Amino acid sequence: MRIFKLLSAFFKVNVQMSLAYRADTVVNILLNLMWLGWELLSLNIIFNNTDTLGGWGLGELIALLGVFRLVNTMMIAFIWPNTEKFNQSIRDGSMDYTILQPVSSMFLVTFSRITVWRFWDLILATVLIVVGVNMSAETTTAPQILTFILLAITGMIIIYSLWIILIALTFWFVKFDNNVTILQALMDSGRYPATVYPAWLRIIVTFIIPIAVATTIPLQALRGELSAIQIAVFFAVSVISFFVASRVWKAGLRQYSGASS
Amino acid sequence: MSATIQVDQLSKTYKVPERKGGFGAAVRSFFKRKYKEVKAVQEVNFTIERGEIVGFLGPNGAGKTTTLKMLSGLLHPTNGKANVLGFTPWELKQEYLRSITLVMGQRNRLSWDIPAADSFLLNQAIYRLSDDEYKKTYKELDELLELEPLMKKPVRNLSLGERMKCEIAAGLLHRPKVLFLDEPTIGLDITGQVRIREFLREYNKRTGATILLTSHYMADVTALCERIIIIHHGQLKYDGGITNLSKKIAPFKLIGVMLAESNSHDLSKYGTPVQNEEDWEKRYIQVKAEDVTRITSRLLADLPIHDITIADPPIEDVIEQAFNS
Repeated sequence: MRIFKLLSAFFKVNVQMSLAYRADTVVNILLNLMWLGWELLSLNIIFNNTDTLGGWGLGELIALLGVFRLVNTMMIAFIWPNTEKFNQSIRDGSMDYTILQPVSSMFLVTFSRITVWRFWDLILATVLIVVGVNMSAETTTAPQILTFILLAITGMIIIYSLWIILIALTFWFVKFDNNVTILQALMDSGRYPATVYPAWLRIIVTFIIPIAVATTIPLQALRGELSAIQIAVFFAVSVISFFVASRVWKAGLRQYSGASS
Repeated sequence: MSATIQVDQLSKTYKVPERKGGFGAAVRSFFKRKYKEVKAVQEVNFTIERGEIVGFLGPNGAGKTTTLKMLSGLLHPTNGKANVLGFTPWELKQEYLRSITLVMGQRNRLSWDIPAADSFLLNQAIYRLSDDEYKKTYKELDELLELEPLMKKPVRNLSLGERMKCEIAAGLLHRPKVLFLDEPTIGLDITGQVRIREFLREYNKRTGATILLTSHYMADVTALCERIIIIHHGQLKYDGGITNLSKKIAPFKLIGVMLAESNSHDLSKYGTPVQNEEDWEKRYIQVKAEDVTRITSRLLADLPIHDITIADPPIEDVIEQAFNS
């Protein structure tokens, strides 16, 4: 498949770039080992001291943490480095070359930079999800697990779309480096189940800020708390948001081509 | 088959925020921004046939880069039409993008930290080139540009000239049919410029690619292009053969004389004296082309001439005059 060929080409180049500076590489490996140790330690603390939080069982909490890690990996491995590159390419004009390549510019802007070091996070996330789902196995059914996976993906698509819209705004404002900061602020509220928040904040977190969509809602699906209609709505929202994002992106490109010199 | 590049009444107007210098003006401008319309390109027309190398000339801000950007598809024009290889460039069709290239001398497409060879492979994936196609093109480019020794070093460790070779090669791996080159030799030393020039000539001969290039170095243009297009303040000033340019815009000849005796003779009664920094031995006058024979014989009769030459004025001067006319 063409997309996988391209992705693997990008991945290779990013590995090559990551290995370009030896001292930097060593520091990165050490740092990431340290992080992994720290993550495992804090997981151990959660395992040993908590049974429930806001009415959620331990297995569900672990699965939630796994989904959160997954979203986090998407942020750190793709969204951050590519935002940085994007902002830079608008300023130094290398965006011109991106636009003139015979591949969707949205695809190029999403995948041209990859923080390859964070791939351990992906493994950790998968392990957490598998363990969490297993721990709550007595109370879950196969369809619940499937909708959980489906909604985790739709949640990530919604966040991704939001990101595309945020960076596309740069085409209008030329300098809009805060686009990452805004997204990060939205992200942090997703670390805990949305039910921990008071009702009014929950509404904001769930509907205005779609991060809850990526973490809490899949978990609700796992617990069988969502109706088929709700599941269909979330699925539709992700499709619509992706569609809107690609339209905004195209409009942004038109703006860029109309205004830049 | 119609022309490779066809430009019809192409115009581009920018809106540029404008304010006076100073702190107060900066604050006022934040709340109420004034815009000024800049007509970068105004109703430009030309056609370029397959295989032509055309030099695109004009002073800074004349609209050269804007035109190149419209033709490559980066900019939407405010008005007018363009057709390149049967496509409207700014629709950005993938098929179109696969058959053109834009190389800008002042911008980098290669990743700084890794050898160019690695970036080339990424381009191979992006342009969907088979291994055979890629190897064949790479071999050709290597032959012409001597790339191989440069491929092992990270791009940041290359000299400017070496980097430019790699940048150009990166832009040509997909064997584009049309090349838009914006200042491809900028910042290079004479040898570097000559290398790139020779490469472009040979590449054009081998592949039949159409080349439209802008350059500040007249030598690039005089060496490569039989045809030039001059644009000034966004308007087309001249489009035609480089040899005709002097006839049309500056129908003058330069007569250089070396006198056997002292240099005290007054030459201004024969023609306009001009400086020539490359030749101190001779003194030069500029005369109208139709007067050359008459004035030459008068000079030979009147003065103790040791040596005499008749030449076209340097193309730089002619173009300079074209800008100012």
